[in-house]
Amino acid sequence: MSAGDRPVKPGRRIGLGGTPVPRAAGEAEPKAEPEKSEPRRRGLGTPTPTPAEAKAETEQQGPPVEPVPAPTPAPAPATKQPAAQEATNYFGRSAKRWGLVAAVGVVGVVALAAAIVLGTQWFLGTSAGSDFLDRYPGQYSQPDAPDGYPWWLNWAHFFNAFLMALIIKTGIQIRGEARPQAYWTPKWNKKRKISLTIWLHQALDLLWVLNGVIFVVLLFATGYWTRVVPTSWEVFPNALSAGLQYASLDWPTNHDWAHYNSMQELAYFTTIFIAAPLAIATGVRMSGLWPADNQTLNRIFPTGLARAVHFPVMIYFVVFILVHIFLVFATGALRNLNLIYTGQDATNWTGFWLFAASLLVIIGGILATRALIVAPIASLFGRVGR
Amino acid sequence: MKIVVLVKEVPDSYGQRKLNLTTGLADRAASDPVLDEITARAVEAAVSHAESAEGVEVALLTMGPESAEATLRKALAMGADSAHLVTDEQLAGSDLSLTAEVLAAAIKKIGFDLVIAGDLSSDGAAGVLPAMVAEHLGVAHATSLESVTITEAEVTGDRPSYGGTVSLKAELPAVISVSERLPDPRFPGFKGIMSAKKKPLERYSLADLGIDAGADVPRSIMLSVSETPARTAGEKVVDEGEAGKQLAEYLIGKKLV
Repeated sequence: MSAGDRPVKPGRRIGLGGTPVPRAAGEAEPKAEPEKSEPRRRGLGTPTPTPAEAKAETEQQGPPVEPVPAPTPAPAPATKQPAAQEATNYFGRSAKRWGLVAAVGVVGVVALAAAIVLGTQWFLGTSAGSDFLDRYPGQYSQPDAPDGYPWWLNWAHFFNAFLMALIIKTGIQIRGEARPQAYWTPKWNKKRKISLTIWLHQALDLLWVLNGVIFVVLLFATGYWTRVVPTSWEVFPNALSAGLQYASLDWPTNHDWAHYNSMQELAYFTTIFIAAPLAIATGVRMSGLWPADNQTLNRIFPTGLARAVHFPVMIYFVVFILVHIFLVFATGALRNLNLIYTGQDATNWTGFWLFAASLLVIIGGILATRALIVAPIASLFGRVGR
Repeated sequence: MKIVVLVKEVPDSYGQRKLNLTTGLADRAASDPVLDEITARAVEAAVSHAESAEGVEVALLTMGPESAEATLRKALAMGADSAHLVTDEQLAGSDLSLTAEVLAAAIKKIGFDLVIAGDLSSDGAAGVLPAMVAEHLGVAHATSLESVTITEAEVTGDRPSYGGTVSLKAELPAVISVSERLPDPRFPGFKGIMSAKKKPLERYSLADLGIDAGADVPRSIMLSVSETPARTAGEKVVDEGEAGKQLAEYLIGKKLV
């Protein structure tokens, strides 16, 4: 047993190189010759000497020196503080330089934003600009597209948001996790062992994929797919038009009940039919679902590629979510929230409160992603251990 | 049937561990105290047997500072029935012989049919304590088992050996030590953690066990302790037509050839 955090019995243990352990005040200095009553187990630097040896040794070593104080980092003198501060580097620059860089950056961004806004406003004011707007108002006509928001879409959207939040949270957690609290071994493969966080991430992934598959199947079965899959090449100039209108701060009018503007349509298409499949494919590559023994497949789709793509796809999702939420709130929040939460084209607070409740559920879900809560669920499908 | 599992609180080997350079003792404040993993495997072996057999009682025993109670509770959460903590200021820095003496005395006091220990602690790494305890108890000892089967009358297990595996059998009472090959310890659930708070935890001092830590008997002592020297940069040989010669000179200079 060893214990550094409690006093050592004086006399029993002698410090390094014959340095005596600090002894209690008032206690006598150690005698050169060990007393008969003193235990033989003496500790550092004193190999149970015979009295004669001990005496000779003590003479050689001279009188016991003062105990060496525990090494503590010496505080820098006050006069040296500024120098020390200047020497503090954050990623190669001092705090002051970073401040300067940040200030220049902020000014630059503001100037760039102003230039973009004023530039597009100027362009759309020219005859060429207004002709372009007339020709491409920001959306192409979709007379056959169904309107409204069916109940399954509302639910799929909520489940998607809920799972997405938890998947991103656990995904980031996996990246930063040096030592997982627990591991999971599947019932069907005793040799496989993944961290509980990875298990949770993948379990959520499966639910998310299931939700996504149901959503896409229903999209195509009901004809709603035409709202999120471009059906005309005109989507591109119209998307550019919508983009210019957003940039000029004179936003395109909101007809979400009937159809999306072309920029929205492209963004939703990218998210559903490009980003999600990419996330799934790269995720499967890194998971236990991948046939790891198939060398041909491994060569065609290396893990390194999957790792390199999976993270940027997450960044895309996060940016999409942020912009999406921003626009929901900036373009008639109450009406938009009703569309997606109640499926009704109405401007009242029902959608908002449902949104608030769903937010609470999502936060609750994120708080529940801890080993103590996840372990019992994971142990239904395998063994949870350390 | 009573199984005593020897558990140990150790400085977390995940981070950097430190010795106090004045006293030579482990600096417990320098790293997180954790239940040594090998002893967690020993607890797992005992608890999983207790779950599959009738009337098996699992007692945990540790010798450590007062603060080891928290670690004992964590081990109790895995499903053991009781915990026993030998704690005494005089035990700070005990060597193996004193530790074995103390643990054996405590085991006798608790009563046992089987003692399970890890084969090697991650801090002391001596690997002889179970054998010393078995000697004190005067019972059979099977070391470094990579599988364990416990029955009413005996314990059997496999032990890796040079070029093969030895199957061992010992009649109870016995002491066994287990290796890293045993199954991973379980992750205690909420229920386990809650019930661990109410499980009995008994404390013993040296006086309770009738042991004199200062007795005039041979003990191992630490002669010196020093910090591991920082790693120094190696020598770089850049080839400017002379690299072969330089390499040879380096090796000769280091008396490596």
